[in-house]
Amino acid sequence: MRLDPSFRYRRIHRLRRCFTRWSRLDTILLTILVTTMAAVGWIVAIRLQYRWNWPTLLEHVLRFDPNTGSLVPGALLHGLATTIRLSIWAMLAATPIGLAIALLRSSRKRLCRWISRTFLELVRNTPPIVVIFIGYYFFSERLLSLFAVTDPLQDLPESILLWIEAGFGPRPHLPAFLSATASIAVIEAVYIAEIIRGGIRSIDHGQIEASEALGLNRLQQLRYVILPQVVRTILPPLSGQFVSTIKDSAIVSVISIRELCFQGTEIISATYLHFETWITVTLMYAVLTFTLSYGISRLERRVKKHSGSALFDKRMTRE
Amino acid sequence: MIRKSSSRSGGLLDGMLFVLALAAAAAFFFGGENATDYPWQWYRIPRYLVERSVDGWRWGPLMQGMGLTIALSGVSLVLSCTIGITAALMRLSHSIVAAAISRCYTEFIRNTPLLVQLFFIYFVLGPIFDIPKTTAAITALSLFEGAYAAEIIRSGIAGIDKTQWESAYSLGMNLSQTYRWIILPQAVRRVLPPLTSQAVSLVKDSSLVSAIAVADLTLQGQIIIADTFLTFEIWFTVAAMYLIVTTSLSAAASRLEVRMDRSLRR
Repeated sequence: MRLDPSFRYRRIHRLRRCFTRWSRLDTILLTILVTTMAAVGWIVAIRLQYRWNWPTLLEHVLRFDPNTGSLVPGALLHGLATTIRLSIWAMLAATPIGLAIALLRSSRKRLCRWISRTFLELVRNTPPIVVIFIGYYFFSERLLSLFAVTDPLQDLPESILLWIEAGFGPRPHLPAFLSATASIAVIEAVYIAEIIRGGIRSIDHGQIEASEALGLNRLQQLRYVILPQVVRTILPPLSGQFVSTIKDSAIVSVISIRELCFQGTEIISATYLHFETWITVTLMYAVLTFTLSYGISRLERRVKKHSGSALFDKRMTRE
Repeated sequence: MIRKSSSRSGGLLDGMLFVLALAAAAAFFFGGENATDYPWQWYRIPRYLVERSVDGWRWGPLMQGMGLTIALSGVSLVLSCTIGITAALMRLSHSIVAAAISRCYTEFIRNTPLLVQLFFIYFVLGPIFDIPKTTAAITALSLFEGAYAAEIIRSGIAGIDKTQWESAYSLGMNLSQTYRWIILPQAVRRVLPPLTSQAVSLVKDSSLVSAIAVADLTLQGQIIIADTFLTFEIWFTVAAMYLIVTTSLSAAASRLEVRMDRSLRR
């Protein structure tokens, strides 16, 4: 199905063959596109005399170590790993916060609604970069020193430390990483709260009335009736939010977290390979998010198929 | 019934508790800092908002930054709406190349971070097309928001009932007439509320241009902090200034939404 009203309107009785759709507009646009690309190529090659140096950049992605005889990931791949780590932890932290905000917002007590609404509007209406700066100073100076996260790490055995490094990145960067993750989590939690609230609101009111009639209290309603249904509807938008988290995590490069975008700026200050680096960084982000988006759209289709079928309901009644 | 009758006194109690909660949060943020000996110097802030010079009062760096932020957002908003409409119409058109270009554009923009796009436009396209940094900032913001605006407008147009197209066709209208008189007037009503909240995002996202040294509110804040070490005071002031702009826009968006909802239902 194409969402193409003008197409349907103009050629409502015609054959919808691809080649019949080629028009003068196509030719004009294609000419403009080719001309622009040629112009860009000409400027880069002739006027700027840009000397491409892809091999050097490739060393920052993946390089061959002659000492060990194996491939070693370079700065950009390390950055990509940090980006993914940061996004996963931020998402894991943001989901419970978001759930709490959503529950407070759909609470019956006015006070709960006001508090959650204030928090929500404050975070949602402040630019992420400002939230990250405040969060960075706040978390790193106050909370981390309060709980002294890094101190007990010294006493841990080496094997556990390796696991921690695999999960959170190198140890010296741990406090900065944690405060960046916390800031990103707070930012994303607000959006997740809205997603969950939408999910809760989409539940048929009859369900809540029925559970009340069964004598379930508020917590039981939530646990047995509301949340199991909400999870199904919010799973696709929630995973879409994960893609947004990956994109938003680029902002933490302003507080020198060594993620992909930051590594890009670092490589440039060392090598001046502006073009190669930014093209590669952009492509890395694009590949990462496109893959995820594709997976999510498949997930969405599956959720839709299953929620549409009677299979789920039948199983429910049999139990 | 019982709940309703007790709601007035409960409202007062709730209000007091709410203020109490806000005070507790503020104490946690501001008062707790005394424990780590943060010297709060709020009295040094006003001079960065308004300063006195030899020939009277003038705006301080923070207000100038806010002016630039608003100007950048305003220009980008107009441009992004134009780009959005163009991309949406291209996507919906029967031309293969136009639809492909629009599709590539929106997908690519929506799947990469704005900060990376900003760097890409400033450092890669900048030297090629000789773009100064403010223009680069506006270009990046407009292209970024334009992709989102395109999706909003596209779904607004696609959401219009098929019979509208068919009746326009049976009235003998051609494509541009149909768009002009039938489709776009209806689409505007659906599209305006989400576009307004997109404007809020635009103001927020414009803070990223500080990364390429465009002197907006965020960068002015950073510069003052580097000079004075008034970290928390300045960041809270900057956040408050952004909040004033964005919450008033948000409020406008939600009011618009309610009004449009009512007019759509009629």
